[in-house]
Formats: sequence, C-alpha cells, structure tokens
Amino acid sequence: MKLEHHEWALEHLETHLQAAVDLELWTIPFYMSAMYSIKDRNSKAYQLIRTIINQEMLHLQCAANMANAYGYSPKISTPVYEGTYIPHLNFSLDPPESTAPYKPYTAEIGPLDELHINAMCLVEIPEFDTSLKNIALQTKIEEYGSIGAFYQALRIGASLLKKDIRGGVRQVNYFTSFYRNMPDMIVTDSGAKGFDQVSLLIDLITDQGEGQCKVDETIPKVFQNTADDIEPAGDHFTKFNQIKEEGGANGNLLPETFPTKPRGEYTEEDKQLEHILIEQFTQLTALLEGLFRGENPENFFPIMASVGGAIRNCWEHGVTPKFR
Amino acid sequence: MMNKKTVFRVHPTVNFARFGTSEDYILSPETSAGLPQKGTAVTGGLPIKKGTENTPVTSKDLRDTQGNLKKQAARFRIFAYDADCTSTYPSGDGVEVTLGTKLPDGRVVKDLIWSCHLANKKAAAYNVVNNKGIEAYADGQVPQLRNPEVHGTIDSVYRLNRLMIDPGPRAIRAKPREFADFSRCSQASCVREKGKIEPLPDYPIRFPEDTNDELFEPSGPLDTLGQMLTDDKGRLLVLSASGNAVGQYDEYGVPIQMTGDLNNVGWFDSAADGPVKVTLVFEDDTTEEAFGAWVVCGDPAYAPQIRNVVSVWDDVYNMFVRDLDLQPDLYGEVPGEAEKRYNPHYKPNFTQDIQPVFIACNLQRWTANLPPLALEAHKSVVGISEDDDPNKTIMAALNFIRNPNADETNIGTPLMPLSLGAAGTSFLTVTKTQYFLMEQWSKGHFDKGEVCKLGAGEALDVASMANCLGGRYVPGIEVSYTIMEKDIYIQDWSTSGAGPFRIKHYPLTYDGLKKDTPYLSSGWIPLHDMTDGLQPGDVSKFMAIPWQTDYNSCSIHATAINTDGVNESNGAESTLYWSWPSQRPDAVYVAEEVYNNVLPKQQWSIRGPGTYAVNPASAATFQDPLQSVQDWDKIGIIIQGINVESDTQTYSPELYLEVQSQLTAPGDATDPVPGWPFNANPPKKKRGCPHK
Repeated sequence: MKLEHHEWALEHLETHLQAAVDLELWTIPFYMSAMYSIKDRNSKAYQLIRTIINQEMLHLQCAANMANAYGYSPKISTPVYEGTYIPHLNFSLDPPESTAPYKPYTAEIGPLDELHINAMCLVEIPEFDTSLKNIALQTKIEEYGSIGAFYQALRIGASLLKKDIRGGVRQVNYFTSFYRNMPDMIVTDSGAKGFDQVSLLIDLITDQGEGQCKVDETIPKVFQNTADDIEPAGDHFTKFNQIKEEGGANGNLLPETFPTKPRGEYTEEDKQLEHILIEQFTQLTALLEGLFRGENPENFFPIMASVGGAIRNCWEHGVTPKFR
Repeated sequence: MMNKKTVFRVHPTVNFARFGTSEDYILSPETSAGLPQKGTAVTGGLPIKKGTENTPVTSKDLRDTQGNLKKQAARFRIFAYDADCTSTYPSGDGVEVTLGTKLPDGRVVKDLIWSCHLANKKAAAYNVVNNKGIEAYADGQVPQLRNPEVHGTIDSVYRLNRLMIDPGPRAIRAKPREFADFSRCSQASCVREKGKIEPLPDYPIRFPEDTNDELFEPSGPLDTLGQMLTDDKGRLLVLSASGNAVGQYDEYGVPIQMTGDLNNVGWFDSAADGPVKVTLVFEDDTTEEAFGAWVVCGDPAYAPQIRNVVSVWDDVYNMFVRDLDLQPDLYGEVPGEAEKRYNPHYKPNFTQDIQPVFIACNLQRWTANLPPLALEAHKSVVGISEDDDPNKTIMAALNFIRNPNADETNIGTPLMPLSLGAAGTSFLTVTKTQYFLMEQWSKGHFDKGEVCKLGAGEALDVASMANCLGGRYVPGIEVSYTIMEKDIYIQDWSTSGAGPFRIKHYPLTYDGLKKDTPYLSSGWIPLHDMTDGLQPGDVSKFMAIPWQTDYNSCSIHATAINTDGVNESNGAESTLYWSWPSQRPDAVYVAEEVYNNVLPKQQWSIRGPGTYAVNPASAATFQDPLQSVQDWDKIGIIIQGINVESDTQTYSPELYLEVQSQLTAPGDATDPVPGWPFNANPPKKKRGCPHK
C-alpha cells in the first residue's frame, strides 16, 4: 500500500531498514557457499565472488549503522533458502526481458552452477527505470519493483525523519581502511548532517551492487575498494554477469566445483561437519545481533571466519552446506 | 651408550653470530623463537646472558654502558654419538663433550683445538637478482658481476685481490683460553695432524684498504671480520665484526653513492661466514676430528622472539625431508609408485609440528601494523589446543592457509601468511612439509602431548635455524635461497656419521701459500652441479652489499616488487605488504609508552629525523641509504614484556615491546602508522612518445 509522506513514521523506516539488513544478510551464505564450492581458489570466479561477499558484509554493516542512527538495532535471523524465494525481491515486477536471461534459478544453497549464478545475477540486477519518478513509499517491502526502488524509497523515508538521527550510536566500522577514498562509513552526526552520512551509505550500497543504474556501470572512485579487489570498478551485477557469460551456455565452462553426494550417503563425519556449520552460523547470527546492539563480542570475527572454513570443509567432503 | 664407535659432531650445524657496535657480547639464543619454555613464562628466542648456560637477557643486557649495541656470539658445542652403520633422524641421543669429559671408552678430553675461517666475497660475487632469485643461475647462466668496472673474470686474481675480504683461517686451543682475531694485522693459522696449530705467515690476507689508498669509513675502518674464543668448558664462541661498511671514493673524491638496495658498487661490509672445525685431543695424546659446522656473521636480531611463519629451519627441514631422505616414514618411496610422496598415515605432533605455526601467526602483531580483525583471528588461531576438534576451529579445512601445492601465490587476502613471497611470487607460502603436517592435523591424524624426540645437539640445530628468516630470500636476512640447496650439504648424512643439516666443507689444505695470490676462489654457485663443498664466504656472498641498505629498504612493498613490476596479486597495485615482518620489524609498540599494560599507538621501528616518507611505500626506513649504514645500531629491539626492566612498571608476558631504541625519545613527532590495508602513492604515468 502506498504511503503519503506525512503518513511515513519511524516504524515504517525501521521495517525498511530491517528488510535491508535481511536482504544483505541473505546474500552472504548464498554467495559464500557458491564461492567455496569452487576448487581453484585462484579462479577468476572465486576471486570475483570473494570481492562481492566482502562488499555484502560492508552493506550489512552500513544498513545496521543507518538503523542504529535512527535508534533501531536490527534483528539478525538465520535466512531461509527455499525454492526460488529471495526475500523482498519480486522479479515479476521487473521487465520480463531483463530477467529472462537469468532463469531458471534457485534460491537454495548450492554450488556455483548455472542455477545459482542466475540467482546471483537476479539479486543484483540493476534498476532499469533510470528516472525513478515513480518511486513511492510502501508499507510492504515486497511492493517495490526492485531493490533499487527499495533503497531510493528508503532514502526518501530517511530524509523525512532526519530529525530523528542521532550520530555516534552503536556504529560499527570494520572496513574503512579498505576504502581509502571514502570519507566515512559511520553516522557520526545528528539531524540534517547525519542524513548526509546516511545518504552516502545508501549511495555506497546501491552504486556497488544493488540498484546500480544501468546507464552507469562503473562504481564511482569514492566507493571503490582500494585494497583487495581484482576489479574495483565493477559492480556486483557486472561481476556476476561476467562469471555467467564466461561460463558459456549451460554453465559448461564455470570453474570446477567439489562433487556433492546425496544426503542419504552422508557419513557420520559428514553429518558432524553439517552440524558444525549450523552451530557456528547460529552463533554468528547471535554475535552479529549483539554487535549491532552495541556490544563488542570478542569472538565475532573468529566465528565469522570459522563459518567460512566450515563451509569449505563441507564442500570438500561432498556435503552441501546448511545454515539452519 | 658409546660402546660402539663414537663420532663427534659440532652443533648447531649452522650457527649465527650477529653484529654489534660494542666490544661486549651476549650469546645467540639456543631456544626457538616464540615457543613456550618449560618452567618459565619467558618464550624462546631470547639471546643468553654472557657467561651463563641459558639465562635469557633482559632489556638492560642489550647495550653496554655507553649505549653501544652488544654483539651476539655464536656458541658451538661438541656432542658424542654412537655410530651405527646408519644414522636416523631424529637420533634423540648425543652427549655433550667438554674439556675434561671422560668417554665410556676411558678417553679423557685434554684439549679442544678449534679452527675457523671467515671470509666475505660479496663484492667479488654476482649480483643478487631481485625478481629471479636462484633462477638467475639456471641453465648454465650466471647474473652480472658485482663491481663490473674491476676488470676480470669471476676468478681472476686481479678481481679477488681487490674485492674479496679474506683474513684467512685461525686456530685456537681451548684449554689455555686462547683468542684469535680475524683482523688484517693478525696472523693466520690452521690445524695440522695431531691437533698441532701451524702459523701461516704467507697467507694472502685481503682487506679493502690493501688496494684502496683511502676509504669512506662512516663507522670506522673495516679491518676485521670477527673474533673467536672459548668459554670455560671449551665451547667455541665466534663473534662477528661490528657490522660496519666502508665505501670507495669516486674520481671526484666523493664517496660512491649507494644507488640501490642489493648490489651497491664500491662498497664493502663486514658480514662473513665460514667453516668451524674442532680436533679433540685426549689425555693419551690421541686426537679425533669432529664433524664440523658453519658460522654466519650478519644482521642483528631486532625481534628475537617473534617467530617467522617460515624460518630457515622450515626450509632446510623441508629440503632434507623431500630430497635427502631425512624421515622416510614422513616422506619417501612407496612400493609400486615412481614418485616419492608424503605418508598419509604419518602423525605429526601438535606441540612440535603444528603449534609453532600458530604461535608465529599470532606474534606478527608485535612487528607489523595488522588490522583489528586480523588480531582477533590470530588470537583465535593461537588459542587452538591439541584437544580441539580441528573442524571446529578457525583453521578448519586450512581455509585461510595458502596452499604451496596449488597456484595460490598471487592470492593475498584472506590467505596467510599475508607477507611478500619468494622471488617471482606475490605472497609467501608455508613449505610443502609444513602444509602436509597441518593437513594431517586438519584431518585429525596427529599425536598429542609434549614429545621431544630430539637429542640435545639436534635441538640446537633446530633452534639456531628457527630463529632466522625463511621463505622470502630476496635475498634474505641471515642467509639466502642457497641454504635450501642440497648441493651445499653432506648428502650422505646417514652413512657418513655426519648427521643431517651439515654444510660440506670444501677441502682447504693451506699448502703452497703465496702472499700475492688469493688463496680462496670465487667458490660455489648454485645449479651448476657443484657438490665439493663450500669455501669461506660462500654463504654470505649471496646477500646484499652492504647489508644495511637491504635491511633498511625491505620494510613494506607492493607485490609488484617481486613480479617484474607488474601487479599479479588479487589486490590493488598500490596495496602495501610486509617484507620480513618477524625479522625486520615494521610497526612496534614502544615499552616506554605503555602504561598499566595498555598498548599505545604503534610506531615505526625506524623513525625520527631522516625517516619522514612522502610515499607510504618508503615509510619505516631511513630515506637516505647512507643513514642506514650509520644508524642501524640505533634501532630498538623487541622483547617480551616480562624481560623488560623498568624502574616504574612491570609488563605482562603477553606483550612484546620495543626497548633500547636510540632513534627518538617518547613524545617526539614521528610519521603515523596507518592501519592495514594501506597504499603506496599511485605510480607515475609513463611518458608517451612526444612524436605521436
């Protein structure tokens, strides 16, 4: 349902910010699983996905920082990976000609194959409506035609409530030194000045990947990774599309992935590896929520890193990663 | 014990004496850097107080009362072994033999006749080729000669007379506590049959001032390569020279400018290396010669407890395992297979084989500007115990270790080690043996408990080499890539009685000496099927000249420095990484700035006047190479907090802090240390052709 500007309240903004956190979080295990399924860590696909995962983590941090600036600490829940459902994205609202090349796809956890690279492209598909004239605030996140429209609406909504911004509240800052050209990645000011910072974070998210405008595929210098990205100017969609295109028809040339076995053939060790991953990811979600709630969990990063090892360990044993 | 034939071996097989400007000295460490030591909170790697068996130094032992940096003496001991037909490794036995030791066969040691021959062939040798490493010697090729303006071939008398530093051999008796100086003005001597010392008045001693009327001597004359003496038990102590360097003047009377890091024309330094031998004299006047060792005199240890992830020990052990059948149960032939391979049933010991890598990982924070996330991760790595399920740890699937068997040397983050690699590669990898042992641990195939299988002499070999920089020999700190060449070692180590890791001595008889003819030749080079042993100077000649310019410059670099100027890494062209973070400290915590064990901001190890860098790529260095030759001894030393002596506070053993720096005082303005990742200034654009 469309909202008029005067109807827009903090609770609507919180809903939108929580949705942003949900979506950013959803991508991370999905992309990580695809990346760690690739045998050759030196392959271009592996390295490109790695850079995108790093930026998804940054986007999660940005979304949480924005939420905390408005007094809302986001909830972190283990994402659901079922069927073709990707949270808050309704591809039926996109022009069919833009999404057709990326179907069929799956939203279930799996190795880097055609179905999964299609899903990854769809998540990052650019906003084709460059005018953004029709952006309107909605009560339900699913009513946005694209993630680009969602973030533009979020910007409008955030602007309407700029008086509620309080700088320096529960801000997390892990990535600054990877973006030497970026002024700041946290909201330190309140009110209108704080909104300028919020708006900058939205620009960062949209220009790096989600909602990137099709007419300008290059990430502005200010948002480019300066440390460890093999293609710092490339947005997420461009990178995923490159992997898909280089994979050729039916994904025949995608890099080799670890063979998987059916669940029925899992050994006790396999089941244990699956269990370890679920346990560590559950722990990670709790730590993340604590992190964004202003705590300073000592073992946050070790657990986050351990999840990566656990995913890799699953694949190396033929086990498809599970997160819940 | 010793009821069979007894053989005598000197340990450590390769030992390191280190420069110092003081006449006083401490002893090189006999424990391995960073590793826990029984009964104390002090970790391994600290030098030993002079005159003691194994008392670690404190911060007040590092300089003399005038503030001069003390030298580190390399202490050699003799061990007796029962000799079967073949030796295995580790042997686990060996008993130290000193003056007065009575052997089981009744022989009593009356005297020990030690001899050593140090030389420095750097200026007469070939260039170090930065991005080629040892490959510069492949296919029958050799690099360009150093000092090419000095006419002649590599072995010409003209060149060797002018460019080689050779004081000749020296021999001393332990019983009367004799002393010898490898100086220009002392006489050479050697050991003949029955332990008789023979003076060599005709030995062609060579020093730079013999052929240069005047030399630029910023830290005094280069007139000695070191000294040798014995302790009260008859063990040998080899002391290095002061570490000074001298340069020639050009035709305008100006000191020849140093134009690079590795191969400076017209310069000499006082590094050296050479064979160590000992003849045991028994009370019945019979004698027996031990299997000798090798001493290398070089750079100070600025961070002696900060363990290298890959040390010289790791590289030498890896080579002996893979190429010289050190432990066939670990790596060897498999029936029915053409190639040797690692034994999938081999069980490493967690404490001995796995934990040292984890400890090294965590210690890097004390000498490098690691980001907070890395510190958290490393803390988690070092927290892994032998009782942990590897699959539940941060090291599960070795997900963050660069695999030396795969093509991964261009992958930087998030793989470890995140420091620069060997020549031609962007990043460092652990050795194949280190990786295999960790793989076994990762699979749960490992033993628990502290099981030291090494004999006392073998433990000295490990400790000596484990305290030196490995992996990245570009060209290195103590030794270069040649230390991994099997051609330099006694290859029949198992049957000859020599035991492993022993550099083969080129036979030097010291007969037919002529004062005008150099005795030593240019010596051994790699990849040329030369297996008749090394001459004095054949280890250090592959190092930079002078040593200070390389130490100075090898702080932080972009990866392209290793790969022909082209960035092949998965990171930005300008991202900076550490060259030798454990052995050449970059960013440190100054003890005087720590309060209540709260860490201050990091400082560059090399800082203060003359170090301010316009480009972050040259931070933490003396901007003028000449200053590195003059001020290297003012750099501070990083040691464990518990051994920092302070009148006002005590420090936690968890901390490793810089002490005794003479470069700045607390509160002085210095270049700030940014958090990693940080970047060099963008490269200048290449000029296009103006006619196009």
